[in-house]
Amino acid sequence: MSDVVVFMNQNFPWPLVLIGLLLWTVFIWKEWSQRKERRFWVKLALSFFAIVSLIMIILKPGIHQKTTNGKGIVLTEGYRPGQVDSLRSIYKRIQTEAYSKGRTLSMLDNVDTLFLLGHGLEAFDLWQLDNKSVAFLGGENVEGWTSISHGSKITLGEELHVNATYVGPKEGHWAILTDNGGNPLDSLPFDEQEEQLFEFNLKPKASGQFVYHLLVKNEEDVVSDEPLPIQVEEGDPLKVLMVNTFPTFETKYLKNFLTEKGHEVLARTQLTKGKYKFEYFNGASKPIYGFTEANLKDFDILIVDTDSYMGLGRTSKEAMEEVVKNSGLGIFIQPNEDLFGLSKRQSPFQFNRDFVTELNLGDTDQSLQKYPYGFQETVGTQHILVDSIPVAAYVPMQKGKIGTSVLQSTYQMVLDGQEALYAYLWTQILNGIAKGRESLVDWNAMTQVPRVDEPFEFVLRTSLNDVEVITDDGVRIPLLQNSVVPTQWNGIHYPRKTGWNQLRAFNDSLAPFSYYVFGDGQLVPISKSKTLETNLREFGSENTFTPSVSRSNKALVPISPLWFYFLLLFCLGWLWLEPKLRL
Amino acid sequence: MIGAGNIERFQKRWQQSKYMEGLLYATGFGGFVYLLTHHVFFGILGLLVAAGIAFWVLRPWKISSKNAVAYIDAHLPQAGYSSGLLLSPAHELSSLSKLQQYRVAEQLGPVLPKLSPPHKLLRAALVMFGLILLGLAVNFALANVNKLSEKEPSNKEQITFAPKDSLPSTTEFPELKGTNITIQYPRYTGKSTLNTTSPNIRAVQGSRIIWNLEFDGDVQEVEMDLMGEPIDFIKTDGLYRLTKTLEASGFYSFTFKDNGGNVHVSDLYSLEMVTDEPPMVQIEGLDNYSYFAFDDDKRLMFNANISDDFGIADAYIIATVSKGSGESVKFREETVRFDRGIPKGNKQIQLQQALDMDALKMEPGDELYFYVEALDQRTPTANIARSETYFAVIRDTITDAFAVEGNLGVDLMPDYFRSQRQLIMDTEKLIADKPNISEKEFKSRSNELGFDQKQLRLKYGQFMGDETEMQSAPGAVSHHEGEAEHDHEEGEEDLLDEYSHKHDSENEHNLVEEHGHENEDQEEEEDPLHDYLHNHSDPEESTLFEKSLKAKLRDALNIMWDAELQLRLYEPKKSMPYQYDALEIIQDIKNSARIYVHRIGFDPPPIKEENRLSGNIEDITNFDKQEEYPYEMSFASTREAIPRLEQLIQDRKGFSDADGALFADAGNELAQKAISQPLKYLKVLQGLRDLEKATYRTKENYRMVQKNLLSVLPEIADIPMKKTEYQDEINMLYLKELEAYE
Repeated sequence: MSDVVVFMNQNFPWPLVLIGLLLWTVFIWKEWSQRKERRFWVKLALSFFAIVSLIMIILKPGIHQKTTNGKGIVLTEGYRPGQVDSLRSIYKRIQTEAYSKGRTLSMLDNVDTLFLLGHGLEAFDLWQLDNKSVAFLGGENVEGWTSISHGSKITLGEELHVNATYVGPKEGHWAILTDNGGNPLDSLPFDEQEEQLFEFNLKPKASGQFVYHLLVKNEEDVVSDEPLPIQVEEGDPLKVLMVNTFPTFETKYLKNFLTEKGHEVLARTQLTKGKYKFEYFNGASKPIYGFTEANLKDFDILIVDTDSYMGLGRTSKEAMEEVVKNSGLGIFIQPNEDLFGLSKRQSPFQFNRDFVTELNLGDTDQSLQKYPYGFQETVGTQHILVDSIPVAAYVPMQKGKIGTSVLQSTYQMVLDGQEALYAYLWTQILNGIAKGRESLVDWNAMTQVPRVDEPFEFVLRTSLNDVEVITDDGVRIPLLQNSVVPTQWNGIHYPRKTGWNQLRAFNDSLAPFSYYVFGDGQLVPISKSKTLETNLREFGSENTFTPSVSRSNKALVPISPLWFYFLLLFCLGWLWLEPKLRL
Repeated sequence: MIGAGNIERFQKRWQQSKYMEGLLYATGFGGFVYLLTHHVFFGILGLLVAAGIAFWVLRPWKISSKNAVAYIDAHLPQAGYSSGLLLSPAHELSSLSKLQQYRVAEQLGPVLPKLSPPHKLLRAALVMFGLILLGLAVNFALANVNKLSEKEPSNKEQITFAPKDSLPSTTEFPELKGTNITIQYPRYTGKSTLNTTSPNIRAVQGSRIIWNLEFDGDVQEVEMDLMGEPIDFIKTDGLYRLTKTLEASGFYSFTFKDNGGNVHVSDLYSLEMVTDEPPMVQIEGLDNYSYFAFDDDKRLMFNANISDDFGIADAYIIATVSKGSGESVKFREETVRFDRGIPKGNKQIQLQQALDMDALKMEPGDELYFYVEALDQRTPTANIARSETYFAVIRDTITDAFAVEGNLGVDLMPDYFRSQRQLIMDTEKLIADKPNISEKEFKSRSNELGFDQKQLRLKYGQFMGDETEMQSAPGAVSHHEGEAEHDHEEGEEDLLDEYSHKHDSENEHNLVEEHGHENEDQEEEEDPLHDYLHNHSDPEESTLFEKSLKAKLRDALNIMWDAELQLRLYEPKKSMPYQYDALEIIQDIKNSARIYVHRIGFDPPPIKEENRLSGNIEDITNFDKQEEYPYEMSFASTREAIPRLEQLIQDRKGFSDADGALFADAGNELAQKAISQPLKYLKVLQGLRDLEKATYRTKENYRMVQKNLLSVLPEIADIPMKKTEYQDEINMLYLKELEAYE
């Protein structure tokens, strides 16, 4: 216990003291005639106490005390009634309060030690339990879809991968993925097990903002229906530069493939020393002789054969690498035998001889010819897998990438009528290497399941300086700049409606950020398991109290004013009684 | 108690028959209930209830011994109305009674077991069967009624019209009163004419379809819109009628104008054409390849299974026999009818057939290819289908190898030609040997050489189309030769025949037509028109060799005559110049054949000597080529329509004219694909079309159209694309550092 007294009413201590002294002086002056008597001194003391107690009543003194408040139980969704009962049998008359989202708990004033039951408090309500000692006891297991993850934004033509976890699947039920129209795309049966992982792959057929659905069905009815919001945007055609020392079928078929798909292709084949054959497709126009930063900058991918790559002059090579690093140009080296023998200084790739000259992809009978080499695992080498076989690899060079493949004579697939496989293969390889469409801002939703009137946290990354974010309704959202990473800005928005919502960076030319706000009945198990996770992270999974007690044991407790009233009454009573006794 | 047992037994039989009766009624009722309900439980319940009621009514247990006695007394005179005594114990009876009892027992003993108790088993059995039959009948009737009631709704689809522009609901517009669509199948299908009201039509190609529409009220310009092509209805007797022959699948709708000039459009209906499939022909019981030795029984047995969807018109076997090999191969095609006649119009025929290769006049080495061809009854042109081809070979014991000369592009000449050189060498040898041999020998050898020279000349003569009289008529040689020792010659000739390649001469016959006996030497000079004619019958004019070549050969032949003459005159020395001349000309002819090959080769342009290997590429320029390949994603408008619909569903925009145009484009895209499968696309197209009408623009419709569009759209092809990405500062730093430390 501390002796330091603090006045809780700190508004006018000095005027009060002055008034008190004045009162006392008046009193002394009034009784001055009796100064020779003993009772004068008694009265003096009593009146002093009376005035002090009056002042104290107004000033409300308090002292720091070890708080000895009681224990309480907070019930959140999903608690086990049995747990409450056993707690009540241990702690008689323990306070209990049910938690509801967004409302302040009322018993927190009286209670400093809490048992938290159930799935816990929402992340945005956790502040209420600061300074409290909390034992998080958990609750019932969450059943249903506890996680559904998928890319929220994909390019048309790409595959969308959906990974989902279902806790407590029942045999005989099916998980069905449907498109926004309700046409089933894929389905998987449930097994009898504790937790089941699902993976769906699908290819959207059109671009736009859609809500796909993940259904769980038994024989007759739909058991659950969870929305899967996805955004599909259209990609842009590529600008391709192909440089060859001599014409090959490989180049010819690749060129045909790319031009027929509407890409801008400039193909250069050497005819003889200093003379070239230039082919311009779909808008390409300027011939290119030596590589310079200026003429390479506009291209998205450079396809070059090994001989041309090896034969590049120093300036050309430096210019090319500069463009790769700064503008993100992708380079694909068409391999020949020489490439595999190059030293580390000459090429970024290192190979191991694996003596495999053929490989089969998928369930087709089509075998692909390949050079008898495999990629060496070095730092930075990224494999491009097709049917989980590394057919190509690239090494990132700052913004850009440089890649190559171990396949040879892929045009054979076209001749064999496997055009679809050919297209798939080259789409994978070129998509992995080509330059992307650079966007100025990058939005990231931090809140996984946004809901109406709940905070939606997002992160905006941009190198632009003055960013302002406005909502659909034209409301500006203040952003918090990250102090360490100045390009990162955090913001919170409270969405008003379910469905697609948009945020727009104030700079109008940028594409708006769309996010999907879920309704009350949607993705409930995911929200629950997220809450559980957050609470476990906050309070720990052990059922002991958090050590917040030692931190916050001293609270300012006011001295009860009753004492001062009694003192005042006694003093005034004596002062009133004393003359009577004398009579 | 004598005979009491008998009475008891009778009583028991009576009771049993009563039980039986009750059971039969019960079974009948139970069966009836079961057939009605198709439920075993109800059947058994019915049976139990009926049995209870029947037993209650019949009361078999109530049949007492008294009843039995009464019945026996009434029906058996032998009982003498005293069978009751049998039941009484003997000690209670008077002696008279005992006597009577004894008598009755005595008499009843053999009769009683034959007495059948009163029963109605037959009636009960009849009732049982009656009930079961009734049950079956009701069951059948119910099933039929169900079927009918199921069928009806499928036929119920009607043509409905809606005004194209929204009209005030108060205006009355004409309505369709009656629809009758008649489908007349082509006659050969044997299907009867179908009358329907359902406008979605599926019929065989060539069917005639007649639409009859009857309107309530005045209408104008009734039209059918068949895949964008308007066809007018003809009005007869208040009915609108249109007749069309089905030639292609598609969609159609009706439009009409009412008096107010408002256009009314019907829904879209499908017109699906079913093509008449060609027959299926299968041959069983035979390998694709059969081989026979020449002394085998050369018969092929097989089964032909032929089936068709509307009936087979005809079937037969096409057999092709090939003779010879290489250039001399000859084909002969024959149609073999099946032994059994083909009944017209059957949908399935199984035919067993034997193919006798001897009947096809096949010899060793010949090959037979055959297949079965079947026709169906389609008009105007029948569908023809054929089976796989089967092969049969009669193995040849001898094979002739055919080799192509290495130095000749076309091997027309037999080996024998080269022996002119041999002749020269032999003649030179003879001249050299002359001092050492006898004159007879010398003359004989000279004559032999002369003969060889003749043979050679004749061979060449064959090329010119000359007749080889001497070979075919050896007897005439002597007269021709006018020489002694023709026996020897003849022997020589036969020997030669044996060793020479017969095959070659046969070949010559194939290549060059034979002609009558003509002496070309004379004719050449006699015919004044020769130069002006292109006479094919004249071997001189045969186009085997070009003109100069032919003249050369003729020269050679003439020179050979001279050479032979000198040899026959035993003057080999004098014949030598002729022989050399002949050899030279023949070499010339061979070389001219060789030049034929050379002519098709590549003649490089001459390169100036001074420019070669100089490395001067000044005149070579860059080659530029510019091309555009406009690319559009498959079903681009349709794919665009999907997000547009999504926006409409989410109320993010209102319906605009641009939307209408987009949906129309999407409809056109899909319609092209829909022709092959009209039914699959009908809903989608109808949905897109409906969006044109203002009343259909509801969220439910948008949703439905979007769903249908998604279900028919094919997947997107793989295309490399430029994707959006954000270059994060920290990632860049990381990659930079990674590079620095590498």
